Amino acid sequence: MTLTSYSTTPGISIRKSRLRVPPTVTLSFAIVALVLAWSLAPALFTSLSPVNGFPADKLLGPSFTHWFGTDHLGRDVYTRVVYGTASSVSSALIAVVIGVVAGGIIGLLAGFFGGWVDTVLARLVDVLLAIPKFLLAVIVVTAIGFDTINAAIATGVSAVAVFARVMRSEVIKTRRATFVEASFLLGGTRAHILWRHVLPNASRSVLPLAVLHFGDSILVIASLAFLGYGDPPPASDWGLLISIGKDYLKWPWLVYAPAFVTIATVLSVNRISRWLRKTD
Amino acid sequence: MRNAYLTYAAKRLAQALVVILLTYVFTFVVVSILPGDPITNVLNNPQSGFTQEEIKEIIAAQGLDRPVLVQLWSSFSGFVTGDLGLSMRSHRPVATLIAEVLPSTLVLAASGLAVALVLAATVAYGTQFVPKRYGQGLLRGFPSLFLSVPNFVIGLVLIHFFGFQLGVFRVIEPDSVWATLFAAIALGIPISAQIAEVLIANLDNEAAQEYAAVARGRGLGQARLFAKHLLKPSSLPVVTVIALTIGELLGGSLITETVFGRTGIGSLVQRSVSTQDLPVLQAIVSLAAVVFVLVNLIADLLYPLLDPRVTLLGGPKSRADTEDGTTGVSPAVAS
Amino acid sequence: MTDRFLPFSLSRRRLLTATAVLAFATLVGTANFTPVQAEDSDANGGDITFLIDSLGDTWIPNNSAISSFQGHIWGHVTDKLLYVDAEGKVSPWIAERWEQNDAATEFTLHLKSGVTFSDGTALDAAAVVANLDIWYAGRKSEGINPIGLFPKTYDHAEAVDATTVKVFFNKPTLGFIPTLGYHGSILISPKTLAQPASEQADLSKTSGSGPYVVDSWKEGDFVKLVKRQDYNWGPAAVGHTGPAFLDTITYKLVSEPSLRVASVQSGQADVAYNASPQELKSLKDEGFTIATPRYLGFVNGWAVNTKLPPYDDVKVRQALQAGIDRQEIIDTVYTPDWKLATSFIQSNVPGATDHSDLLAYNPEKAETLLDEAGWVKGADGIRTKDGKPLSLTLHSNPYLATSKSVDELIAQQLGKIGWKVDIRAYDVVTFGEKVKYGGPAIPAYEVTRSFIDAGTVAGILTNANNGENWFALDDRDPKLNDLRDKIAGAGSTETRSPLLDELQTYILDQGYFIPRTQIVQRIYVQSPAVKGEVYNGVAYASYYTAKKSD
Repeated sequence: MTLTSYSTTPGISIRKSRLRVPPTVTLSFAIVALVLAWSLAPALFTSLSPVNGFPADKLLGPSFTHWFGTDHLGRDVYTRVVYGTASSVSSALIAVVIGVVAGGIIGLLAGFFGGWVDTVLARLVDVLLAIPKFLLAVIVVTAIGFDTINAAIATGVSAVAVFARVMRSEVIKTRRATFVEASFLLGGTRAHILWRHVLPNASRSVLPLAVLHFGDSILVIASLAFLGYGDPPPASDWGLLISIGKDYLKWPWLVYAPAFVTIATVLSVNRISRWLRKTD
Repeated sequence: MRNAYLTYAAKRLAQALVVILLTYVFTFVVVSILPGDPITNVLNNPQSGFTQEEIKEIIAAQGLDRPVLVQLWSSFSGFVTGDLGLSMRSHRPVATLIAEVLPSTLVLAASGLAVALVLAATVAYGTQFVPKRYGQGLLRGFPSLFLSVPNFVIGLVLIHFFGFQLGVFRVIEPDSVWATLFAAIALGIPISAQIAEVLIANLDNEAAQEYAAVARGRGLGQARLFAKHLLKPSSLPVVTVIALTIGELLGGSLITETVFGRTGIGSLVQRSVSTQDLPVLQAIVSLAAVVFVLVNLIADLLYPLLDPRVTLLGGPKSRADTEDGTTGVSPAVAS
Repeated sequence: MTDRFLPFSLSRRRLLTATAVLAFATLVGTANFTPVQAEDSDANGGDITFLIDSLGDTWIPNNSAISSFQGHIWGHVTDKLLYVDAEGKVSPWIAERWEQNDAATEFTLHLKSGVTFSDGTALDAAAVVANLDIWYAGRKSEGINPIGLFPKTYDHAEAVDATTVKVFFNKPTLGFIPTLGYHGSILISPKTLAQPASEQADLSKTSGSGPYVVDSWKEGDFVKLVKRQDYNWGPAAVGHTGPAFLDTITYKLVSEPSLRVASVQSGQADVAYNASPQELKSLKDEGFTIATPRYLGFVNGWAVNTKLPPYDDVKVRQALQAGIDRQEIIDTVYTPDWKLATSFIQSNVPGATDHSDLLAYNPEKAETLLDEAGWVKGADGIRTKDGKPLSLTLHSNPYLATSKSVDELIAQQLGKIGWKVDIRAYDVVTFGEKVKYGGPAIPAYEVTRSFIDAGTVAGILTNANNGENWFALDDRDPKLNDLRDKIAGAGSTETRSPLLDELQTYILDQGYFIPRTQIVQRIYVQSPAVKGEVYNGVAYASYYTAKKSD
């Protein structure tokens, strides 16, 4: 932050703007870092067990011993949130990876080769686009079975079309760029040009979209879990925690604690995505 | 020119038909993957007390052991002729089931969209009037917050606060005006974020244009400037966004209806999914796809007629193909 | 930090604060809950709203009669030939009396006269024959299933005269008479039965002879019943035979348990079905009527697969039996309204005997048994034998909402004595596909099942006579085979009771069946203004006799 200077000279400012990090973005990175730390090493953040509780301590309100209170089996909700992070984060990652890789390949091939390849892939993408996204996720998760990984796969599948679209238009844009035309004229092979020029340029706009979709996927997977298409107990994904909590609304922290963590995480991820787009 | 348009129209129509056909097959394949259906499901419930032999006999009597392709063909030929078949769960005609719940979903979706538009307009136009130091940033932060809150959380909070604490509406009458309004709020908030972001970006864009600066230079106040120059151009792209949110409205209504206990397409999907009621799911997904494809087809066919700048000589294959496709949050902000 | 970014970061903080305040306000609001009184009660009759978690799948009478959900509506719209009360006592209803031959292959039913269905058709001998036929056979090609628990030995029935029906079986069938009071055996107008399945599925086109008729309904939403003014053939056992008191009963689907309860608390509805057990205590303190009737049937527990190691070892099964703290289940997941299991059948079933001693929590005994069986505790606390961990995979019963919580608790309890417990929770569809008695990967099948007559029990023990073979024993246990045959052949309850007692001791001692708790599948939270409802042998509430005060 202190690196920022107001007397920016044109030309240098582009580089500098990358280093200039607004405080909300710093906070967002801090939240995301905390969430990643929870998912990698939950045991560092809590000494309690997410699975075994003390039945006598059931449904206690938030306090210094139990930050988020305890649930219907006397388990510490904070601990459950911390341990559930890994599943929530990794399932959202899986969804994004599926969307980016599958969508990316489709878009890349369609945009680069054009012609009948483009036509065939365009119809495939049209099919995926024609079905409302969440409905598609619900149908896919029904077909492959109810658990969190499958919910992640379904979420990823429902995002394929969007990534394919963006990738395709970026690829077309890049292909028409002078330096790519020049590379063709200089006798570069298709694979070389694809790998060396088109992919790096096209992926630049895919990155912020992927980050954005990471946040979106957390929400979609949580929604699927809320409708009952998630993991069985004693899993404690955030969406599952909210879903369980809704049955105990007299003890509202069971809903608000995991909901708050979810919202804070998604908000942070969205903020980072926006910042990435602006600095690009 | 006329011939070119007809060729274009024919091509788009053919494309649309292909997409509808493919969607139908895609849905059928996906839904048929998992063995299990409402009939077997009831028979397998140990409370029913059927033996394995009886279960097999009943399933064969229903034609459920036919090859998948035969089932696909009989289902598709029915769909084309307008016969959606019988629900395997309730044994009632699928068309009746859908007709029963469609009005409720249309009301919810329409009011959800209305809420989203009002909210988005308030936030977006607000950014033009609220000075930076008095919370413009707060307003600009709203869309991002709205996008980050799962709509079932919004729904649960609204139900408990307005339904039970304040008693504004009776939770067990989800079709009453007030209950519908709150359901529409839960549904509309995340959608308003997308509209608001597009609006804000367009407003900022227009405000930065030369003519706005000229107008300001002539001493035009912010209100006049806004009303005269900014409102119309910035609002046009919203029409496109609305078309894109149709799917989101349906998807969102799936959860909103569950949370608020409304009986609509969303809850019908939920019930059909939980029992693997193939004919109903098939019909709903296919109809949703047909609606989406038709809306886009109409838009594509009208586009060249409305906008004289678009030529068809090697021009855009379709409206959808030319947009950069950054659906979801904020196509315009990205630039 | 420069000023430039300050407004934005401040606003963001404000935003978060706003969210927190809203959340907190709701939290406080929920805590200080004040019920609003209902105003729409009427001394002359009255209307009640019953909030239910599902209205089931189809309304074809045969396919929906035994559903936990549609069963409530059928109970008011239809009558049965006999009445079975909460203690399993059988009494006359539409059948005023009945006789049987000595071989129990022929039964004669004498019907009440003057009974009509709501479409005007007479409920006479011909109508009863039509019902018996469709209960037995269904119309399979149309999707109308038979009634699963109707005796498969049925041959045919004939109308002797307008009020006399003779029923013939091809084998002795003592269970026939109790079956007539079972919730599957509802009497429907022959006109309705003649309709195709897609018409039968439309509830408004179905006619029964019950004290209420369907006024209107919407799938997945509600069913509204209005009382039938000319009804005067109620079962004498409930103490009232004339028209019902309440004018209307509306069954309204509200899928969230907390919403159902909160609606009753705030006076927006009168009865909430299937509340969360955790909420019952405070509801009782607030003055609401809580009913947790037990049905006649098996307790909630596991049928153990004796073919699957290590559960082929009796010591491991006995360790399982002793390693579960059933009192803690009731204290944690349930409330004192739930009863400890005393056998593998519910204690209100005629013939059930008390075997609490075999079901006492004794972790030391369990550990000793496992030591004897060669299971050694490792450093991680899990016992192993020949390199294999002592594992138990539980498949939570999707038909019982509290099943998962109980499984999680038992997993903790068994974990302490060295068991490695995995829990799988499938949806209803997958559960039906994958989880079966004695299935290759199913060490324990979680049972929830009602029955009318304890004689049914023999049929589940082995695979003889198309039996269900719950413990995958086939014919390997001669003692069990012997008890099974003696119970099936018993001519009277006097000779049967000691045999049933012996059977219960044996099954529990062998660890074939591991009871968890007595089952309460239906929980009712009711406004204090509604009184006089009756619960039958399968724990359905009947509001035929109920009244609503101001």
